[in-house]
Amino acid sequence: MASDWSPSRLGSCSSSETEYHRGVVQAEPVARPVSAEAILNELYDLRISHVINVPDTHQRTLLKALSQQSRIKLLTACTEDEAIAINAGLWIGGLRPMLSIQQVGLLAALNNVKALAMDARIPTCMLVGYFGRDVSLTARENPGRGVNLIEPTLDAWRIAYFPIEGPEDISAVSSAYRHCLEHSGASVVLIGAPTA
Amino acid sequence: MKRRDAIDALVARSSGAVTVTTEQAIGAWRAAVPEPANEIPDHLDVVGCMGSASTIALGIALAQPHRTVIIVDGDGSLLMQLGSLVTIAGAAPANLFHFVFENGVYETSGSQPLPGEGRFDLTEMARAAGYAESLRFVDATRFSSELPSLLQRRGPIFVSVRTEPEDGFLIRSSAGTKLEQQVHNLRARLVGTPS
Repeated sequence: MASDWSPSRLGSCSSSETEYHRGVVQAEPVARPVSAEAILNELYDLRISHVINVPDTHQRTLLKALSQQSRIKLLTACTEDEAIAINAGLWIGGLRPMLSIQQVGLLAALNNVKALAMDARIPTCMLVGYFGRDVSLTARENPGRGVNLIEPTLDAWRIAYFPIEGPEDISAVSSAYRHCLEHSGASVVLIGAPTA
Repeated sequence: MKRRDAIDALVARSSGAVTVTTEQAIGAWRAAVPEPANEIPDHLDVVGCMGSASTIALGIALAQPHRTVIIVDGDGSLLMQLGSLVTIAGAAPANLFHFVFENGVYETSGSQPLPGEGRFDLTEMARAAGYAESLRFVDATRFSSELPSLLQRRGPIFVSVRTEPEDGFLIRSSAGTKLEQQVHNLRARLVGTPS
């Protein structure tokens, strides 16, 4: 693997640890929520101009926070293909956009990731929520293909990804954004648990 | 009308605009301008994006609100991302002019007919999606004469241009397109610094 696309924290989370409480086996979350405010502050620090989204259940508190402020313009697209193309146009025009989408939408839009982020080398940073993830398991351990195939897919496409498995990982946002600029390509922030 | 006649009219009136072409329009636009492929100023030939040319143009229009942005789309391309009509109308860029050349076929793959050809109406779809105006032209002379005033209006404006299928004329017209080069050149021209 080339170092420039290796995930920053892949495999750093423990697998499903359990604790016994009042006779019931409870899985300890692997992924814990990060606040919308924390992500928004990262976006402000990065001077993001636009967030183009196809609404993601995981990021609904972030989308609400974005809709209640005016420093960053929130655009909604019908499909992730459109969102990636709008991101391209905004960047060509000199702005600093970012995307907010769901992981299955990322799969749906891989051709545009290839054509615009990879072939045309347009910085394309995507906040990607893991819809349907069991947060007591790592993404790769989740039973659903829509979750467990994401990291292997990104590996296969050599797309850099930066997991947020808890509040301590918030710097993944700035790391991913810097990566897409420095490498003129795609980067993904994998948001492990629904934002708070 | 002949596609080349419509393209000639657009090229003549596009001075100062950012122009974006895709698929069937690429070869005709290249034939109508003096610059070689990939070196046309303030211009993109969008290939490989399966209907994304209009939303790339939307992004440029939003980022450069003082520039006129002209997108020359194809009917088959638009049908690949038909929801983009709603997205564009929702963003409502006043400087975006969306021309859709309708020849009724997927020309670049061998001129197979579009699904439902003759039964749908893109002009009505754009109007219903919320474009500021939606127009249709079938005659080159009228198109050419009305184009100057059309480009002075407040967008987003949708313009259907009905053209004759030209089987074989422009197949592989996008050959040699270097989108990366065009993208980075355009950004440098718009922003003033290399990307």
